[in-house]
Amino acid sequence: MSIAPAVESTEVPKAESEPVIEVCDLYKELGGRMVTNGVTLKVYRGDTMIIMGGSGCGKSTLLRQIIGAIKPTSGSIKIFGEEITGMSETEMGRISRRFGMLFQSGALLQSMTVGENVALPIMEHSEVDEEIAELIVKMKLELVGLTGFEDLKPAEISGGMKKRVALARALALDPELLFSDEPTSGLDPVMTAVVDQLTTDLTRKLGMTAVVVTHDMTSAFRIGTKMIMLGTGLMQGKIIAEGTPQEILKNPDPMLQQFIKGEADGPIPLRLSKGDYLKRLLGTN
Amino acid sequence: MSSYLHLNFSVLYWLVVGPFQKQPVKLRHVFEQIIRIGVEALPMAGLTAFSIGLTLAMQASHELGKLGANIYVPNLVAVSLLRELGPLLIGVIVIGRSGSAVTAELGTMRVSEEIEALGVMDINPVRFLVVPRFLAMLIMLPVLTVFGNYLGMVGGWSICRFALDMNTAGYIMRSVESAQLADLYSGLCKSFVFAWLIITIACHAGLRVEGGAEGVGVATTQSVVHSLLAILIANAVLTSLFFFF
Repeated sequence: MSIAPAVESTEVPKAESEPVIEVCDLYKELGGRMVTNGVTLKVYRGDTMIIMGGSGCGKSTLLRQIIGAIKPTSGSIKIFGEEITGMSETEMGRISRRFGMLFQSGALLQSMTVGENVALPIMEHSEVDEEIAELIVKMKLELVGLTGFEDLKPAEISGGMKKRVALARALALDPELLFSDEPTSGLDPVMTAVVDQLTTDLTRKLGMTAVVVTHDMTSAFRIGTKMIMLGTGLMQGKIIAEGTPQEILKNPDPMLQQFIKGEADGPIPLRLSKGDYLKRLLGTN
Repeated sequence: MSSYLHLNFSVLYWLVVGPFQKQPVKLRHVFEQIIRIGVEALPMAGLTAFSIGLTLAMQASHELGKLGANIYVPNLVAVSLLRELGPLLIGVIVIGRSGSAVTAELGTMRVSEEIEALGVMDINPVRFLVVPRFLAMLIMLPVLTVFGNYLGMVGGWSICRFALDMNTAGYIMRSVESAQLADLYSGLCKSFVFAWLIITIACHAGLRVEGGAEGVGVATTQSVVHSLLAILIANAVLTSLFFFF
């Protein structure tokens, strides 16, 4: 398995266009720890931004701040050019109708069937007839390879299928911006490729913007046009590397290289706590 | 406490203002909840009310029989059911059966990120989840209470008819004579207030769950305990209002 970027970096300079997401000096404190520590990033239209980092580095927290689910301690977040920190619920609603979010667990409503779950945003936010909504649901389920599963409940399908239904739901209203939290965890290699292909098609051909949190390096290099890595330990919540996939591959940072190659030996500490292991084990320090 | 009041206000807000913002409460969701909260509770509520009517009649005849006043058993059964035991007992049954289920369901939805997902889709959880349950409870608890009152009186009748040799027509006559419409209304007024308390406490507890399966358990216990206390206190307050005014 080789890790190679799928696209050569032939991107047109996008400096003149307005960024879709602009995060500036973002800080978030949770339980006395800085989980997001001075993050600044810009995502332009058509980009696929990959957020990488070890478990507990604050990837999901960063994502949840950007979608407005939790408030940052300080800093600014602009989506579609509008400042969302301190926005009222109604205003935030107007913004959130323009993006889709794929949760790590899928977060499908267990009391509804697969079809009703995908139809939910359509029925709530547009005035289309039920027949049209049914048609859209079929199209979206076809995209993720789940035609014919409309009438099953989420409890009756596998974890990977739930994830794909959740992706279909996130895409139901044809969002301009898609957030995915671990979109490919729990999927088999073929389905991973299908979901990756779908993301690439939507971003490269239709100009959708994607922000993807992932651990899956193959998938990250396949779909990403920009990447950032968040640090753990002393660098908790800080961006330790950013750039295009090529730049990331060439980046000499040993922590980054260990992460993308998935090596057990390296500078990333296995234990977050410091001090003598034996002493700690015996409780004498 | 302030978040509880806030929930009450937002329920009323979505009920009144929602339809004008093109975000009405879907009737289909209300009917689904009517079935789950109300209709499925019918057998249990009926059985409880029947056995209470039965025991009331037996206990009453035990004392009244000594005075040769067994003829007043129907009066006692009818009045105590309509005014007090009907609304209260059905309320307790619904707390145990439906209130706890609502808290556990909403709590589980919160733990599994479903409520957060609704928020991200700009679907207000209060409008989408709480208001249909609220309406269903406000409709179904009084309905269950009326149903319970009838079955309780049937329980009383079965003792009067088969153990005290009273005839059926006589039982009905005495029940209807003794019970005023005001008795029924005061009972229904109580059950309306109980319904409000039960469902808002249950939803509030469910929406605030923190920390996994254990959190859901804690919230469900709390919801049941708080609802029970709330309806017992409300019952005392309402009874004294009706008694003194």
